[in-house]
Amino acid sequence: MEAHHLLWAYLAVWLIQGGYCVWIAWQWMHTPDCSGMESTDSRPIHEDS
Amino acid sequence: MQRSRILGPIGIVWLILTLGVIAYATRLALLIAPMEATMGNVQRIFYYHVPTSMLSLLFPYVNFGASLCYLYWRRRDPLKALTSDAVAIASAEVTVVYASICLLTGMLWGRAAWGIWWTWDARLTSMLLLWLLYVSYLMLRKLSSTGQTHTLAAVLSVFAAIDVPIVYMSIQWWRTQHPAPVFGGGPDSGLDPSMRPAFGWNVLGWAMWGIFLLIFRYLLERRRQASEQDAALQAIEASLEIAK
Repeated sequence: MEAHHLLWAYLAVWLIQGGYCVWIAWQWMHTPDCSGMESTDSRPIHEDS
Repeated sequence: MQRSRILGPIGIVWLILTLGVIAYATRLALLIAPMEATMGNVQRIFYYHVPTSMLSLLFPYVNFGASLCYLYWRRRDPLKALTSDAVAIASAEVTVVYASICLLTGMLWGRAAWGIWWTWDARLTSMLLLWLLYVSYLMLRKLSSTGQTHTLAAVLSVFAAIDVPIVYMSIQWWRTQHPAPVFGGGPDSGLDPSMRPAFGWNVLGWAMWGIFLLIFRYLLERRRQASEQDAALQAIEASLEIAK
C-alpha cells in the first residue's frame, strides 16, 4: 500500500484544522471589541415579517 | 469583562491540554499502534478519519439545536436569539471543517486501499450531501443580506440535520463500497484491543479540539454582533445629531 497517502492525510488534517483556527484568530484580532454593549437593553433583530 | 477574564485562562489551559492529547494520540497512531495486516501503514489513516467522521455527525446536531432555539427566541427574546444564532454559525463551520477532513482522508485511504478516489455508494454520497448542505448554509449566511437570512438559514439547518442519520445508517441499509461499521457492525466487527488506545485518544483529542474551535468561533461571532450593534447605535446617534 502507498504510505505517502498516510502522510498526505495527516498533513491535510493539520493544515485544515490549523488553517481554520488561524483564520478565527486573525478575524478575532481584526474585530473591534465592543463587549460593553452586551449589558445594554435588548435590541430587536431587524427582520421583515 | 469579568467573564472574559475567567474564560481566557480556561481557554488557554484547554488549548494546551488539547494539543497535548492530540500529540500523544498522533504518536500512538503513527508509532505505537500495530501495523494492520492487509493495508499496512496506510491503515493508520483510520485513527484520524474515523474520529473526525464521528464528530462531523455530532456537530450538525449542535447546529440543529441552536437553529431551533433561534427560531423559538427570535420574536420572544432577541438577545437569546442572537446567542443561538452565534452557536449555529459556529457549529456549522466546524461541521464543514470536520466533514471536509472526513471526505479528504476517506478519499486518500480509498485511493490506497481500493485504487479509486471516489465511488457513488450510499455512505460517500450521503456524506458529500451533508458537506454540500452545510456549505450552502454558510454561503446563505455569507451572501444573503435580507432581513430573513438568519431565519432561512435556521430552517435549512433543520433539514440538513435529517441527512445525519442517513449518513450513519447508510452502510447498514445499503450494500456499499465503504466498509461495514467497525463498532456494532455484527459478530465480525470490532477493533483489535491493541488498536483501541490510539483510536480512543484520537477521538478524545479531536473532540476537545472541536469544542475549542466551536467556542472560539462562537466568541468571535458574539464580538462581531456587538460590533455591528455598536455601529448601528452610532449611526442612529449620528442621524439624531443631524436631525437636531
